[in-house]
Amino acid sequence: MAIGKRLLVNKPAEESFYASPMYDFLYPFRPVGNQWLPEYIIFVCAVIVRCAIGLGPYSGKSTPPLHGDFEAQRHWMEITQHLPLSKWYWYDLQYWGLDYPPLTAFHSYLLGLIGTFFNPSWFALDKSRGFESPDNGLKTYMRSTVIISDILFYFPAVIYFTKWLGRYRNQSPIGQSIAAAAILFQPSLMLIDHGHFQYNSVMLGLTAYAINNLLDEYYAMAAMCFVLSICFKQMALYYAPIFFAYLLSRSLLFPKFNIARLTVIAFATLATFALMFAPLYFLGGGLRNIYQCIHRMFPFARGIFEDKVANFWCVTNIFVKYKERFSIQQLQLYSLVATVLGFLPAMMMTLLHPKKHLLPYVLIACSMSFFLFSFQVHEKTILVPLLPITLLYSSTDWNVLSLVSWINNVALFTLWPLLKKDGLHLQYVVSFLLTNWLIGNFSFITPRFLPKSLTPGPSISSINSDYRRRSLLPYNVVWKSFIIATYIAMGLYHFLDLFVAPPTKYPDLWVLLNCAVGFICFSIFWVWSYYKIFTSGNKSMKDL
Amino acid sequence: MSIGEPTMKGDRLRQNMAVTKKAKLKKSDEPTKTSQVTASEKGEESKRYSLWNFWISTLFLKLLLIPDYFSTDFDVHRNWLAITNKLPMSEWYYEHTSQWTLDYPPFFAYFEWFLSQFVPKVVRDDGCLDIVKVGKFGLPTIVFQRLTVIISEILLFAVLQIYINTTKLSERSQSFVVASSIVLSPGFLMIDHIHFQYNGFLFAILIGSIVAAKNKKYLWCAVLYTTSICFKHIFLYLAPCYFVFLLRAYVLNVNNFKFKSYKDFLFLIRWANLFKLGSIVIGIFTICFLPFAHQMPQVLSRLFPFSRGLTHAYWAPNFWALYSFMDKILTTIMLKLPYVHMFATKLIKPPLIPKDIKEINERLLANNGSKGLVQDVFFVILPQIPPKLTFILTLFYQILAVLPILFDPSFKRFIGSLTLCGLASYLFGWHVHEKAIMLVIIPFTFLVGFDRRLLVPFMLVASAGYVSLYPLLFKGQDYFIKSLYTYVWCIIYFAAFRKTTKISSSVERRIFFLDRLALTYIFSLLPMVTVLQILDEVKWRYSFLQKFEFLGLMAYSVYCSLGIISSWFALSWLYNFDELLWQ
Repeated sequence: MAIGKRLLVNKPAEESFYASPMYDFLYPFRPVGNQWLPEYIIFVCAVIVRCAIGLGPYSGKSTPPLHGDFEAQRHWMEITQHLPLSKWYWYDLQYWGLDYPPLTAFHSYLLGLIGTFFNPSWFALDKSRGFESPDNGLKTYMRSTVIISDILFYFPAVIYFTKWLGRYRNQSPIGQSIAAAAILFQPSLMLIDHGHFQYNSVMLGLTAYAINNLLDEYYAMAAMCFVLSICFKQMALYYAPIFFAYLLSRSLLFPKFNIARLTVIAFATLATFALMFAPLYFLGGGLRNIYQCIHRMFPFARGIFEDKVANFWCVTNIFVKYKERFSIQQLQLYSLVATVLGFLPAMMMTLLHPKKHLLPYVLIACSMSFFLFSFQVHEKTILVPLLPITLLYSSTDWNVLSLVSWINNVALFTLWPLLKKDGLHLQYVVSFLLTNWLIGNFSFITPRFLPKSLTPGPSISSINSDYRRRSLLPYNVVWKSFIIATYIAMGLYHFLDLFVAPPTKYPDLWVLLNCAVGFICFSIFWVWSYYKIFTSGNKSMKDL
Repeated sequence: MSIGEPTMKGDRLRQNMAVTKKAKLKKSDEPTKTSQVTASEKGEESKRYSLWNFWISTLFLKLLLIPDYFSTDFDVHRNWLAITNKLPMSEWYYEHTSQWTLDYPPFFAYFEWFLSQFVPKVVRDDGCLDIVKVGKFGLPTIVFQRLTVIISEILLFAVLQIYINTTKLSERSQSFVVASSIVLSPGFLMIDHIHFQYNGFLFAILIGSIVAAKNKKYLWCAVLYTTSICFKHIFLYLAPCYFVFLLRAYVLNVNNFKFKSYKDFLFLIRWANLFKLGSIVIGIFTICFLPFAHQMPQVLSRLFPFSRGLTHAYWAPNFWALYSFMDKILTTIMLKLPYVHMFATKLIKPPLIPKDIKEINERLLANNGSKGLVQDVFFVILPQIPPKLTFILTLFYQILAVLPILFDPSFKRFIGSLTLCGLASYLFGWHVHEKAIMLVIIPFTFLVGFDRRLLVPFMLVASAGYVSLYPLLFKGQDYFIKSLYTYVWCIIYFAAFRKTTKISSSVERRIFFLDRLALTYIFSLLPMVTVLQILDEVKWRYSFLQKFEFLGLMAYSVYCSLGIISSWFALSWLYNFDELLWQ
């Protein structure tokens, strides 16, 4: 086994997660004969953690009459299989009317059919509202559908991405696997999808496929995957300006004017859209049905924000009461202008300089500006910018990794009020600790108090035993102190939230504090992504 | 699929090794010479084999499993907490408000009493310490009890860390694989952290005695083993092996023995050692049972309830599972084809088998009243099995396993015979729980490193044994966790053991066909589990599936028993007939 080609060890690419527990776990699988193993292990472990999180409660459990997202998804499985297509977007809209694009509806239809095979009472029309089986059968079924969707869409896309990158820059398989694990163990997505209950991983997975296709330069495929992603959840539109600019630029400007490519991309885009919406047209109700679908997807009547969310409008609402001062139309206009101004530089950069290594950054800048400035944003929507952010775990730059890890924690933190409502306290704490521990954020603690023989780190890996284990914090002192300050603020918030009742005059004070911290961090990260875009234009994928 | 790959590589490697002879299997974690010169210069010392990371990572998983399903064993232990906390010691073994009476030895009762001292007020108010017929409790009790399991299991990690630290540097990576495979064992995860028991803690004591035996600390071995019996008397199954091992290794002085007269037998025994050993063992038993001395018959009747039936509620995959299965098949055949019965009565006289078809039907009817699920299993065609017979069979195979220690009290022999003792009691014992398979897998883990050829029997017993635990967690929500966890454990550790086991010197005697067969068997476990789970989910839909509801469990126990029995054959063969292995 030891014979055979050795990959270089001291590549900087590998040092990114040196001496983290993840590195320790995977190190024994270094020899060539074992290299096929880590992928399986990470894959299966990520699924196991998701299953274990899924044992917890879900949103709206035992809270009639409306329940929560779980009930919404179940309700869609119920109506799609019992009603003709023409009624899907019309049926009893007050009770979780379908408000996602057609692919979600088809997905629900399929899952509903399979579920009915197991137990029809889970999805009986109208009678099954708020159904909770005593033996957890429905919950188990729904949970496993999320897990399987996750495995089919998100996992392969992420693993492909890290492998592509790893091959491109000659990273060892272990390094690739560690990056994949860091991405797959992202706590926010796990908690929202498998705890709170949604199918975001499908949308994000399809987008990741689109990114992979861009890396492989299969532009038509990329367009197709991205359109599918939009057709699953309209939130994928947050990426749309970048995909549009990138594809346009790649076919019109770089490397040359290529009308054939443009035609193919345009055809793929339109054909996919047509394919998705055709059933709505032909099987039910014609154009009216499509209008209704689109109308349901973009509920502009709902106000600039609903729950508290860590974006510009919600946080500055403390000082300027938007809802009282402006009409909805005005707010729509302002938010549109702000969002466009927010993503325009990134879009222009993509148009003029469509480079692969910039892709994650421009996607971050674009989707983050949507999150911060657009109309009707939910706290869960942070998952959309989090996808390109988390893909940066495959970076080799310590500063980038540190910021990614930090912003992931911030994002998880902003989800706390939601998760608390769902009763996912335990899952929140454990997944926060687990992911941070895995990537080595807590490794600095162990050498201090554990006896030498127990200290992990150089245990099974062959790193020098005096290797100093650091948490992921940037080198720059200002950054470092800022990040530590935000962590302290978050800790303080949790303390207040747990032990101090908010003043009766402002019952939402703590939540607003949460949003404010989140907003500050997100906007700084957003600015930083622009800084990266404009400073790393000449670098290559190797330095990502 | 995935496991097949390393096998083929491993075989090729093995052939290479056989040619070069001098090549040692490279350890998987040996530093690369090209770039890590400093690290390799520092050599083995700089490597630390720590279970810390394993503890942390499994801790997270176990915490997430807190809201999961738990069995009636949870209420059993809650009830014991209540009994030991609320009642004076003299009533512990008489209390029977709940049907879950205290039926573990006193040390475990003391342990429960100790735990009950830490019950916080919230948990107390939750009904944790109420002596009632059926426990009424909520989340606080669940969290508290789950945490006691998690915390008490630290002992397992500690003991195995000591095991790692006390092995030679050259063998350390192998012992690390052994230790980590035990702490990550799907058995402990399923039985302790989902189903609910304290096996991690209890096995820690047993493993402690194994480690002491390895380090030739015989008194410690005796102390720990006796303690472990006083915690959980199921460990008595291993007693013959410990007895003979300690006798031969510690008490008898065979080397300098020359027979001149019968007086010389006095010098055969190291009297001082015998005295030390005896007083320690008796002392521990006294500490354990003294408070209950005046009520011993009651305690013993609780500990050894012989009124229970041959097989447990669901058949543990042992020899009797196959026996019952044979009985079922013969019944069907004879009912469908009366000629078979006529022919059989020619060969076997009626008291041994039913006289006529009418009697078969009568017996069937008597059985159906109980659906085969209660304590008593009544065979229709085959002869009934009295407890005495199971006892004799068990003892017979245990004696066979123990005899070689008399001649060679090495650790290798000891651990081999320990595994065989566990296997014999598991396969032939009376009222065996499927959980008892841990009694086989744990010693076997220590054994498997000695020779590559032991790996296949180990793989068989580990995979079949862990899969046989699945019916314990019958809820759909655990399906993914239990099967994926076992799957990933098998992938990691079958590969890791393959890397770290010693290559046997007698390679040519391996039967490759059997290895392939074993692999096929292990792979077929996966589809079997999946299909049975799906059938279980949709059984309400098809009446024939409901009619044969027991078939699922029967499939589990029959299929798993095939694996475990063949593992026993293989190990027995190697143990008894392969002299090179045991040198």
